[in-house]
Amino acid sequence: MPDPLNARIKTMIVQTLRLEDIDPASIKDDEPLIGTGLSIDSIDALELVVALEKEYGIKIKSSEESMVALSSVSGLVAFIRQKADPSRLPPA
Amino acid sequence: MAARIGVDVTTPETRVADGPRNPGPDWGYGFLLGCDRLLPEGLFRPLRAAGTWVALAFMHAQRRHSREYLALVLPEAPTLRDVFRHFFACEEALMAKLRVANGLDIPCEFDPSAAAFEAWLAGGGPFLLGTFHIGASDMLGFQIGCHEKRRVYLVRRRVGNSGDTERLSRISGGCVRFIWGNEASELVFGLKAAADTGDAIALQCDRIENARQMEDFEFLGARRSFPTTIYRLARVLGRPVILTVGVPLPGGRSRLYGTPLFGLVAGEGRDAMRARAREHFQGFLRMVEGLLRERPYLWFNFIPLNPAAGAGAGVATDP
Repeated sequence: MPDPLNARIKTMIVQTLRLEDIDPASIKDDEPLIGTGLSIDSIDALELVVALEKEYGIKIKSSEESMVALSSVSGLVAFIRQKADPSRLPPA
Repeated sequence: MAARIGVDVTTPETRVADGPRNPGPDWGYGFLLGCDRLLPEGLFRPLRAAGTWVALAFMHAQRRHSREYLALVLPEAPTLRDVFRHFFACEEALMAKLRVANGLDIPCEFDPSAAAFEAWLAGGGPFLLGTFHIGASDMLGFQIGCHEKRRVYLVRRRVGNSGDTERLSRISGGCVRFIWGNEASELVFGLKAAADTGDAIALQCDRIENARQMEDFEFLGARRSFPTTIYRLARVLGRPVILTVGVPLPGGRSRLYGTPLFGLVAGEGRDAMRARAREHFQGFLRMVEGLLRERPYLWFNFIPLNPAAGAGAGVATDP
């Protein structure tokens, strides 16, 4: 069964960054988020981080955390799961 | 009103550079400062000029790019002397920056166009400050952080010989901090952390080398690509924008020029903001072009000129 948080993150990426021609489901879990097929640059990534902070109340506290969180959708999902208030996460 | 460019202290994190981009060796700044202390200016200046000729001789690509740019702003085809004057202006700007970092106080005056920047300098606030690699603009960081004691984050790429940066960091007393843009994840974290502080963030806005999204603007007789990063940041972080450039004047002074404030409008859509941003940046470019027509050697652009529309470098996007 698909992970609802994973699906939500992919939808947020598409909506926040207005990637209108990309199907959220087509985003690969392990593909690097920045500088690959999605054409996300650092400002897009910042916009995504700002949106995620609002939705999940997470805070990236170091460049190392940033590197892990922005490594891929899988990395981002794991980071949010680890840092977010559980009440804000979609039910599994 | 006049302000002064002065100095005090900072502390940057020191990371490994991703390779030197500036041509000089990493001991070069210390060497220049040492000579500045030991030699009279009447001897040191000709030595700097000689050093510039040596650099000119070996820096083929930069010479070519200088010539390409100067051909657009000079009334006649640039000569080797013009290229030298372009190189030497850059060297002299570096020397002035090193001197300021070393404690020299440089008087700075404001053009009426810089009223928004002057107001920010007086009151501070979470603004985005943009500039170009022009004249004394690099010294704005010193002025903001060291003399006016406004806290500002400067977005920079760490290079092999970042001696001036490190020095500014040391002397600004924590007012000037750096966001290193070498790694995307580091840049994202740095920008977010800086945005959370409410301090200003300053970045260079003329070079397209690290920008993915650009738009075309009228500049130097063509539609040329420029990065729209600062306006994208304005939208994402909800911050106003001011663009400024500093021009050196005789007698070791400098004069600041700038744009009106690009503020945020509640409820404004992306397209409307993009249109306003275009107009704002185009206005800045018109002012910069006017300055460069008068002082052509002051744009330290020794890399390929921002490509003209149709050259395939620009990707239109919203701010």
